Amino acid sequence: MATVVEPRRDDSMQRPNIPSAGNRLPGVRDYEQVDRDIIGTLRPTLGWFAALGTAVLCLLIGISAWTYQIHEGLGAAGYHPPVMWGVYIITFVFWVGIGHAGTLISAILYLFRAGFRTTIYRAAEAMTVFAVMTAGLFPILHLGRPWKFFWLIPYPNWRLIWPNPKSPLVWDVFAILTYLTVSATFFYVGLIPDIAVLRDQETNPVRKRIFAALSLGWRNSDREWRHFTRAYLFLAAFATPLVLSVHSVVSFDFAMALTPGWHATVFPPYFVAGAIFSGIGMVFTIIIPLRRFFGLQHFVTINDLDAAAKLCLFTSSVVGLAYLTEFQVAWMSGNRVEQEYFWNRVFGQWAWAAWIMLICNMVLPLSLFSQRLRRNTTWLFILSLFINLGMWFERFVIVVPSLSHEFEPWQWGSYAPTWVDYSILLGSFGWFFMWFLLFIKQLPVMALAEIKEIVPPKMRRPIDPEERDHDLDTLTLDPINTAGDD
Amino acid sequence: MSNQTGSTGVKRRDFLKVLGASSAAVASTYYATTCRECAAGCGVIAETRDGRVTKLEGNPEHPLNRGALCARGQSAVQGLYNPDRLRGPMVKEGGVWKPIDWDRALTLLSQRIGEARSRGSAANAVFINQHETGSFPSFLDAWLAGFGMRPHLSVDFEADSAAVEANRAAYGTSWPRLSFQDARLIVSFGADFLDGWGMSVPQQLDFADARAKIEGAPRFVYVGPRRSLTGLNADQWIACRPGSEVAIANALAGRGTLADAATASGVSEATLARLQQELTTAKPALVLAGARGPDALALAQAVVAINQSAGAVGTTIRNAEPMTAFDGAVRVADVLATVEQMRSGAVPIAFVRGANPAFSLPAGARFADAFAKVPFKVSFSMYPDETTELCDLILPDQHSLESWGDAQATPNVISTQQPAMDPVFSGTRATADVLIQVALKDPANAARYPQRDYRSWLISRFAGGMSAFTAAVAKGVSAGSTAPRTTPTVAAVAPAQAAPSLDTSHGDFYLVTYLSPVLGDGRGANKPWLQELPDPVSKVLWSSWVEIHPQTAARLGIERGDIVEVTTQSGKVRAPAYLYLGVRPDTLAVAIGQGHASATRLDAFEPKHTDRNTIQWGYGRYARGIGARTQDLLAPRTDLAGGLALVSTKATLAKTGDHETLVSTEGSARQHGRGIAQALTLTQLAGLQQSRGAENANALAPQGSANQESGGGGSQGEGAGGKAEGARGEHHEEIPGEPSGQFLPGLRSPVAADAQGDLGSPTAEDRGKEKGMYAPNHWSGMANRRWAMTIDLARCTGCSACVTACYAENNIPTVGASWQNATVFAVSKPGFNITRGREMNWLRIERYFEGAESEQFTEDFEARFTPMLCQHCGNAPCEPVCPVYATYHAPDGLNVQVYNRCVGTRYCSNNCPYKVRYFNWFGYGEEDRKQYAFPEPLHWQLNPDVTVRTKGVMEKCTFCVQRIREAETRAKTEGRELVANEFTTACAQACPSRAITFGDAADPKWAVTQAVEDRRAYHVFEELNTYTAVVYLKKVNHPGPASPARS
Repeated sequence: MATVVEPRRDDSMQRPNIPSAGNRLPGVRDYEQVDRDIIGTLRPTLGWFAALGTAVLCLLIGISAWTYQIHEGLGAAGYHPPVMWGVYIITFVFWVGIGHAGTLISAILYLFRAGFRTTIYRAAEAMTVFAVMTAGLFPILHLGRPWKFFWLIPYPNWRLIWPNPKSPLVWDVFAILTYLTVSATFFYVGLIPDIAVLRDQETNPVRKRIFAALSLGWRNSDREWRHFTRAYLFLAAFATPLVLSVHSVVSFDFAMALTPGWHATVFPPYFVAGAIFSGIGMVFTIIIPLRRFFGLQHFVTINDLDAAAKLCLFTSSVVGLAYLTEFQVAWMSGNRVEQEYFWNRVFGQWAWAAWIMLICNMVLPLSLFSQRLRRNTTWLFILSLFINLGMWFERFVIVVPSLSHEFEPWQWGSYAPTWVDYSILLGSFGWFFMWFLLFIKQLPVMALAEIKEIVPPKMRRPIDPEERDHDLDTLTLDPINTAGDD
Repeated sequence: MSNQTGSTGVKRRDFLKVLGASSAAVASTYYATTCRECAAGCGVIAETRDGRVTKLEGNPEHPLNRGALCARGQSAVQGLYNPDRLRGPMVKEGGVWKPIDWDRALTLLSQRIGEARSRGSAANAVFINQHETGSFPSFLDAWLAGFGMRPHLSVDFEADSAAVEANRAAYGTSWPRLSFQDARLIVSFGADFLDGWGMSVPQQLDFADARAKIEGAPRFVYVGPRRSLTGLNADQWIACRPGSEVAIANALAGRGTLADAATASGVSEATLARLQQELTTAKPALVLAGARGPDALALAQAVVAINQSAGAVGTTIRNAEPMTAFDGAVRVADVLATVEQMRSGAVPIAFVRGANPAFSLPAGARFADAFAKVPFKVSFSMYPDETTELCDLILPDQHSLESWGDAQATPNVISTQQPAMDPVFSGTRATADVLIQVALKDPANAARYPQRDYRSWLISRFAGGMSAFTAAVAKGVSAGSTAPRTTPTVAAVAPAQAAPSLDTSHGDFYLVTYLSPVLGDGRGANKPWLQELPDPVSKVLWSSWVEIHPQTAARLGIERGDIVEVTTQSGKVRAPAYLYLGVRPDTLAVAIGQGHASATRLDAFEPKHTDRNTIQWGYGRYARGIGARTQDLLAPRTDLAGGLALVSTKATLAKTGDHETLVSTEGSARQHGRGIAQALTLTQLAGLQQSRGAENANALAPQGSANQESGGGGSQGEGAGGKAEGARGEHHEEIPGEPSGQFLPGLRSPVAADAQGDLGSPTAEDRGKEKGMYAPNHWSGMANRRWAMTIDLARCTGCSACVTACYAENNIPTVGASWQNATVFAVSKPGFNITRGREMNWLRIERYFEGAESEQFTEDFEARFTPMLCQHCGNAPCEPVCPVYATYHAPDGLNVQVYNRCVGTRYCSNNCPYKVRYFNWFGYGEEDRKQYAFPEPLHWQLNPDVTVRTKGVMEKCTFCVQRIREAETRAKTEGRELVANEFTTACAQACPSRAITFGDAADPKWAVTQAVEDRRAYHVFEELNTYTAVVYLKKVNHPGPASPARS
């Protein structure tokens, strides 16, 4: 960004005041290439239309299932008392969790000056906004009477009835809405300079007008840049505590209840770590195909992925520790109900789900201790799918087995989702990917302005005729690999 | 009400008139009448609203049931409003049923009777009537005699003929009053006196009173191959081989050696010796015989001998106070003989009223074939049952709640039956009236019926005439006796039919069939309340099941829900397996009552697609195709007293490879030491009393954790006392309102104190604050009340009458196994309702087993029944989590659920430790849905004081808040204070064990206030600090002087 620094001759020197400091993109030569390569991805392709069509189809399936559920009653879903919460709440927590990585990457890593965020944060932020939009649907469609959802919102009414401030579900409403507002604002503010670039390059008058409006008349002046960077920094600082608070509040849905398996003080940090972990998993799931299909390997370098994989490994360890802590607390609690529940979780009725969770979230990520695997995009992609699965099952293990094995043995039960649950789950992916696919063809998937900061300005670039002839494929994208220190 | 306004538009004055009339009609009108659901004939009060019966409750004035009523009795309203009732006379022409008007129907009937008389065969006509007491049997016999026909067959498939015959011979009465209270030892040889054997409500009342004596309560030993509900209430089970009861009884009566009896029965000689020893010491004993094997009469006679030597006659067996329920009932052997007569073609005309022999008789009796030989068959049935389907003319009767009648409660008391409402279907006519109309068509008979209708006939015969009758009807009971009935003369049974002992030649397993305690002999199957009432023993509903001991099941690789095939020489039955601890490993047990079917193939009832006018043959939509017909397994064998032998043969068991989700409400049958159903022995009780005594007379606070150990049956007592003391110390610090004197006088009761929590705390700094209705000095006075309930587990037998009462009072929908009334054996798919645990029973009976942890067979296990309902916690976990205040705490301690505020997050249910909240998964109250629970006219039963909940909202026990508010309002309009115990909840009202006490625990005048002071009192999950308003009183076990049970 345009923070004023003393230009240096030595390009290898780090610029400590810039978040992208230390990051280098050897495959990117100049600003024009940044614009060309990234904006070039906005042209719709047949494959994109096919993907969008699939997403919309999934969404339609979900909408049909929901319509049917509203008509029939919530019994159309697989609820089996005492399991009164099921796939919808699981999927709600799943999407909220995914919504965490974006803000973590764009805000916290920004504040921590982690350079690897530069190329992935835009996609991660978009993912956040869309994931929270997806998550926000679930508390509504899980209601017995979804048409009354607005009763959870404090609005003035002649009955003088307000939501119950003691209920964690009301806290949820506030937490989610706040998070959605802030992350969407953050996302949009970061986009302003890039939209201005699109505006400048757009030939279609209608689109140009829209971009002009969205860019708020951005003219690339120093004053604008100064305000912009200050606002961005402020929003980053503002969003940072939300990363912690939102999922803590979501965890209160469980932790504030009496239910064995829920009633635990470890839940807020456990949920936050899990959320970040799952979010990074989803970032991999999105970014790895994206850089491949859009040919952006020279932007999202293997170094960036390596760094993100380390973060993934770290959060996996935190999550794993939380799992073990739960068992230890139950073991040492002397509480028979709690102990029996945890025994049932791993060795009883729900062992299969618990082991999916433990293996996907705790065991498989240990592979990231190997640098070779961290730098293997295929493995990272496969692992990310396992993480997504594992994190969905983590929430399954929290919600379903706890409810099915509570205090009253006479009411112990089971749970099996129906096609309605699965369709709505599918529909949520359709909804999410529909927005994401629309996003990647309308707006740059990487922050043009921030990338340009780490690309050497033209005037400081020594002219190297040979370099100009380099083909992308022969470019050494990975200095560490070439150093042979693997 | 409003039809007087006519079609010319409503004038304001008329409108106001109508309005006034309607609001006046909202108040209930009560009619005393008689329950006809079984032979006992309890007195009931029918509550009517707008001219419609909404609920049946026991008549407190009635000597038999003293205000209590069983589940079957309460379900009579669903018989009344059954959507499948026959709505008018019909005639079968060319195999097709056609409606016919009454005139033509009666003419046809008169004509056919006339033909029979002219041929001289009228004397062979058969009239099969469901057994009842009162004037109707003699009226009927007189009518039959007038046409030259023989007396009718008064059939009761539930009656124990052997007991009746043995009683007659020994005590001179068919049924002496059984006084459980006077017994010190009760021994039952398969006599399931809590399951429907004999007269269930009076017996249960007395048994519960006996057990409530705690220290002086009788010990109860049950002898039989299967622990029925009665058996589960016993302190000791002696699991003898089927058919060996008579050997044991004879040995105990001194007619054989214990060693022989032990060999025959598979019971250790030591056990029998102990029982014999007890019989000699614990006098008077009450010994009952009810095992329905081929040798039932021999058993009953042996038991008579034991009773005579055990000092029972005159004390526990009150032969001076005879009961009349089974007077005049014919034996099943007589029915079988009549069937053979039909088969011979000698019967010119047959009438059936109430009874359903085509269903109830064993398949081997081949009733349908024989019945087909009768040229003209008339059914007076209300329902499209199996027998009716085989008839030629249907003259649908009116329900007992629509017609006049009477019953003989005891020899000196008449119980009157009056219509509580106009007939639901105008096309129906009371059979007695129909008979009079037929007689009036016949010049020779017409003169005998100057009254022209049955009511007038009854009055004319009533001692004291019209005025006495009116007075009697108002009360429901009066002194006197109805006309004596003629003894039926039926050809004696061929002795070949009766077998002296069990046929053990075929099969590997003994087969025990028994009458369902819920459905009786199958009569109850068309009432959704009864179908949805879990069997008190197995907790299976909407289904049949085969009881197999887990040890046997493990040997054969059978799991719960595997479909097994039970085969006898007579037939076979397919049903899911239920693994039951209380059946011998060499025995299978199957209940009778399900398996209704139509003779013609009919598809399962489809609520949305089936034409409402289609007759639902096979006993209606709720019964057809549900479960298996157990009678197919039975040979038509009778005992020497002529009763049907229910345990007469062996069977083979085969796994079919199919599996289904067993339709059951049972989660875990073990309480995992969580202290939900607590029990203690007398010794422990004495210890408990000592340890408390001085410090604090109330027994509420500290017991939960301390006494959970006694729940496990393991190490009891030691160490727990100290823990409890510690816990109590803490509670003293923390709980506002511990009865330490700082509480308002009206809230001294610890329950009330708990309940009000902070809001009720009158500490110094709070006292001045304005807290609205929660303030103790608020003018409404609500905060001075604390509605609470005690449930005495020493009394509770698990009969489940309270559950049905709750359904009736609170408009709880029956939801069906898969869908409403859909076939149950199609449960390969999980289905949507009870198969997914979605039953709506606000009050459920949990049945926990203690002991017998391994698969190995043991007689030594205990069942504990715990009615579980909303505990109305003072510190309710459900309340803070509701985001919209749909559940909140009322100042009088109720945990209130506001249906129309509920959005359906179901968080309250997740947070309820007792799991007593029920969600409306579907629109059970919405018409034109397949889940609709109240198809017309079932919805006439709905209580207008209670909302029918919409889909998507949570509901739960309200402590019958409508009754509370009604009583409060009534007191207020009468300008008085609420009188203690002036009303109670539906469950407490119905309970035939009198286990439930409801009232204001903050007011010492209410009975509940004394009950919570009981030393056996405890809260469930007290460690969760929920401060419940439901207080349980521990069950008391009587292990016996030298029982191996608890050593």
